[in-house]
Amino acid sequence: MASNAPFHFAGDSESDDEPFNPAPADMSDEENEVEDDSRNKKGRRSPADDGDEDENEEQAEEGAEEEDAEGDGVAEDDEEEEGGEEEEEEEEDEDEEDEDVQQHRRRRKRRKDLGAAFLDIEAEVEDEEEAEDEDREAEGIDDFIDIAHPDDLEEVSRLHDERQHRALDRQRELEASLDAEKQAEILRERYGKRAASRGYGDMKVVPKRLLLPSVDDPSIWAVRCKEGKEREVVFNIMRRIEERMGTPNALPITAAFERGGPNSVMKGYIYVEARRQTDVLIALDGMLNVYPRTKMMLVEIKDMPDLLRVTKTPTLEPGAWVRLKRPAKHAGDLAQVLDVTENGLEARVRFIPRLDYGVRDDASSNLTPDGKRKRPGMPAPRPPQRLFSEAEARKRNPRYLSGNPQTNTWTYMGEEFENGFQVKDIKIQWLETKDVNPTLEEVTKFASGGEDGTENLDLKALYTSLKDSNNVTYVPGDVIEVYEGEQAGVIGKAISVQGDIVTLRVTEGELAGQTLEVPNKGLRKRFQLGDHVKVIGGSRFRDEVGMVVNITDDRVTLLSDQTNTEITVFSKDLREASDIGGQGSLGQYSLLDLVQLDPTTVGVIVKVDRESMVVLDQNGDTRQVMPSQIANKLPKRRTAVAADRNGSEIRLDDVVREYGGQQRQGKIIHIYRSYVFLHSNATTENAGVFVTRAGNVMTVAAKGGRVNANAGPDLSAMNPALKRNPNGTNNNMPPPKQSLGPDRALNQHVSIRRGVYKGMMGIVKDTTETHARVELHSKNKVVTVPKADLIFRDKITGKPIDIYSRGGRPAPSSSGRPGDYSGGRTLMGASGGERTPAWGSSKSTARTPAWGRPETSGSRTPAWGDGSRTVNPYDGSRTAYGGATAYGGSRTPAWSSSAKTPAHDGFGHGSKTPAWSASASSSHDPWGSKTPAYGVSAPTPGASGSANSASDPWGYTPGASGSSSHGYDAPTPGAALSAPTPGAALSAPTPGAYSAPTPAAISAPTPGAWQGGWGADSAPTPAPLGAPTPAASGAAAYGAPTPAPGAYSAETPAVPGYVDDD
Amino acid sequence: MFFLHNLERRVTLHPSYFGKNMHELVTTKLVKDVEGTCAGDYYVIAIMDTFDISEGRILPGSGLAEFTVGYRAVVWRPFKNEVIDAIVTTVNPHGFFAQAGPLRLFVSTHLIPDEIKYDASATPPQFTNNADIVIEQGTHVRVKIIGLRTEVGEMWAIGTINGDFLGCLQA
Repeated sequence: MASNAPFHFAGDSESDDEPFNPAPADMSDEENEVEDDSRNKKGRRSPADDGDEDENEEQAEEGAEEEDAEGDGVAEDDEEEEGGEEEEEEEEDEDEEDEDVQQHRRRRKRRKDLGAAFLDIEAEVEDEEEAEDEDREAEGIDDFIDIAHPDDLEEVSRLHDERQHRALDRQRELEASLDAEKQAEILRERYGKRAASRGYGDMKVVPKRLLLPSVDDPSIWAVRCKEGKEREVVFNIMRRIEERMGTPNALPITAAFERGGPNSVMKGYIYVEARRQTDVLIALDGMLNVYPRTKMMLVEIKDMPDLLRVTKTPTLEPGAWVRLKRPAKHAGDLAQVLDVTENGLEARVRFIPRLDYGVRDDASSNLTPDGKRKRPGMPAPRPPQRLFSEAEARKRNPRYLSGNPQTNTWTYMGEEFENGFQVKDIKIQWLETKDVNPTLEEVTKFASGGEDGTENLDLKALYTSLKDSNNVTYVPGDVIEVYEGEQAGVIGKAISVQGDIVTLRVTEGELAGQTLEVPNKGLRKRFQLGDHVKVIGGSRFRDEVGMVVNITDDRVTLLSDQTNTEITVFSKDLREASDIGGQGSLGQYSLLDLVQLDPTTVGVIVKVDRESMVVLDQNGDTRQVMPSQIANKLPKRRTAVAADRNGSEIRLDDVVREYGGQQRQGKIIHIYRSYVFLHSNATTENAGVFVTRAGNVMTVAAKGGRVNANAGPDLSAMNPALKRNPNGTNNNMPPPKQSLGPDRALNQHVSIRRGVYKGMMGIVKDTTETHARVELHSKNKVVTVPKADLIFRDKITGKPIDIYSRGGRPAPSSSGRPGDYSGGRTLMGASGGERTPAWGSSKSTARTPAWGRPETSGSRTPAWGDGSRTVNPYDGSRTAYGGATAYGGSRTPAWSSSAKTPAHDGFGHGSKTPAWSASASSSHDPWGSKTPAYGVSAPTPGASGSANSASDPWGYTPGASGSSSHGYDAPTPGAALSAPTPGAALSAPTPGAYSAPTPAAISAPTPGAWQGGWGADSAPTPAPLGAPTPAASGAAAYGAPTPAPGAYSAETPAVPGYVDDD
Repeated sequence: MFFLHNLERRVTLHPSYFGKNMHELVTTKLVKDVEGTCAGDYYVIAIMDTFDISEGRILPGSGLAEFTVGYRAVVWRPFKNEVIDAIVTTVNPHGFFAQAGPLRLFVSTHLIPDEIKYDASATPPQFTNNADIVIEQGTHVRVKIIGLRTEVGEMWAIGTINGDFLGCLQA
């Protein structure tokens, strides 16, 4: 021992090692010296070992003990030593569980005392010794320095021993003579007291803390050694101590230990306790595997206790899961422990081999593309995990293959394979045993390797591995089941979680309502069939949401919401999901979104993973893309329309079926150009999404029943009755007119414009809704012709007329419109009141004047024809226009323009009626009143009109014409509303169609008379006139003529409306 | 389970329909809007009648009129553990889908008695115990609902035929 340690030693070492181990600030040098002093003496184990400080003494005692133990150990065999050490370790472990490491020394001593209590005699003796010690302490400071010679001491102790033995014998005799009762009494007194004293001792906390190593204690150096050889080195040291004990060059160290181990951070070091660094060097001089000459580290005092902190080393059990660190090819792979070798250093594990069967051994493959030899150190890409295939091995390298097909064990290239798995003995330090976290997929690979193909998962082992990782987190609200420990079977809901303790409120069973605290360990989450859960944690199914369909122990099978597939995960990876299923989404992209991949490719996201997604493109191919590869997301176009195979319109959410092919049926989720993306629940492939061409599907059911459209009008949109398009571009062509009385076509002169009788003329003799029987002029024959193919002609002039146009107009509207439009109609009806008078007036008074005028010029009639015709045919008023042009050229371009211009219609709305009435009453003057009307709706005509009006009633005429359209529009509020918009303008003409008379009225005047008038009247007029004419001829042409004055140009805007109509 | 449920809804009407038969139109619209829809955890099967149609209020901006309509409707709400009859729509190896009125059900293989196995070789594919039970497309089955999920405008359920009196219905 360091008996020769000088006083200043501590100081020396401190100064030496200052950089490494600065002295704690609160300890002064003097103190150190004093303590050293006492310490040294104790080191010698002098009987006068009576330091005034309790702990000092105890430490001394302790040191002695240690030395004793070591000495004993050395005296014995190596193995026995090991045993001893293990015992010691065990003792330490036990201590650990109860208390801190720092206290272990004292604990041990106490334990010894306790143990002694049961060893009867010896115990007594020891106790007495202790008592003596204490006595001595009490004696005072005189004995403090006792330099008694060790030999003397020995004699004293021998004498002492003898006396004690005698005393003991006496006591035994005495005890034997006592009766049992008394003896029991004594025993109780003795042991009872001890137990009490023990408890008392446990409560003495303060002195224990002072047991921490201080600067007085020997320092500890960490010395590098060969990794894995730590224990060996320590044994060697022990052996050396034994050898040199008692010789002059006895080892001057006080202790040596190691904390190596495969996973220890302290591996590669041994720790030597000694007073001086040189002592360590002496002790380790010439020893193998240890490198005292390299950097030797002084362990700081505060770190010393940590060196001895016990960490429970996980024990490897067969069946447990581990991860491989070596061989490098398999780094990170999961392996299963089959067996652990007796020395505990190696484990036999099985894992899935990564074999390429020598593919890469080809000479060519040893060369890099540029023809150079690969450097051997270069890591080759490692082959994927695959079970060993005998066939493949035989094909490639039959030479290296040997084995037994019966047992399915093979040796190939020096490796062993069993049942497809590679089996290998691997050093335990090359195995990762903590935080293995085997995923179910990995584990299933092992399971599926069973001979009969059945699942032979050792769930228990798996779960143990998982449990060890202990990364299960519970969140308040989780339903938890205790499956282990006293409370096994208890089910409750977690209230709070603090560290490893979960507080739960029991929900079922006898304890219901109580609150329990349970350690994290024996818990698992509990789910029930049908629960809606979300996958959390490390599984590759993370974030999937689904419903639980099966629960087996710890494994929960759930049916994913998104993909309708079944997933099996551990219950620890699940948690209750909110009832609203989270749609899988990645950034801004979520499942079933339409995305643009490149300028020509779009696709629908059919699967969303954590970092990538799978997209089904328009060609039906799926590809995996990263979010960054997506150009953009195409917003869903609610209004997108396509035509199916039958030409029916299909929209989003319609259900369609493929024509031909697989006849898949699905709901349209996206329409992109001619492609439709459909979603079906019948298949889970691509999340039920498939793509086809719009022309290749047939409507099964349209949303909102568009196909069988008797669901009624959309009451939150414009009344369709008011929206009718004049030109019949929409399908809702007004029903054929049915007059209340006899068909007006009867007895009309007609010419047939289509069919075999084309060009022939005749008289209508009889009609049905659609057809007329016409008695031909030319031959005595009555033929049946569709009404649509008839041109009704004036009996006298032969000009085409619209027989339905005049009084007939209201009739069709009432009779022709289906009942559901009644709402609209009613309103019209209401307004009809207005109109009728207007009409009346127009017929009787207002028009007549207008008429009267043009009448003089015989050219009115064509105007009539024109007017009527233009508007008349529902389907295409402009065709009629074209016709009109023919006339109009000469006649009333101005007219036609005014009549036709939307402005015109606009006219109709506003204040025509008043205008009318005004005009009715006083034909010319009213202009003034009318002008406002113009102002409102159709400034242009107004302008022109006003220009004209100065000169002539012309202005009026427009009014009239306006009124014609009014006739129709005015009543409908809708018209009134829409008037300002070009659309309104459009709608206006339609009615115009009905009210043929008005234009007629208009056009009538226009002809020759007018023209003359115009020309004479005002310079500006011609311009407007000129302009309209082309308009009359064709809408497109309209734009061109507009060179006309500003007045006109105002009108032009209306034109587009017209154009559209066309 | 069916219920008669008193409900309320706001119905809007376009101004072009304002007139004397407005209430009629409102009712029409209500029926059109509501019947056959899934309202959270139940389906509205039919509207019996409406009552208490409020005065219309013009919504600023759009001009639509809004009516608050009280109505009585027959609703159907499926419950967990409810036993219902359904018709099989699709059969796949994982189980089968069935339709119970508007509700789509899935019955997983885990929830089918063990002796009833998937038979892929049959056309159409079926679940059968090789005796009297054959579950294929169109089969009527009696299912117990074990889980329900509601989404916007849709519900769907997981069912089991693992139990007494559950499974194939002998017509």
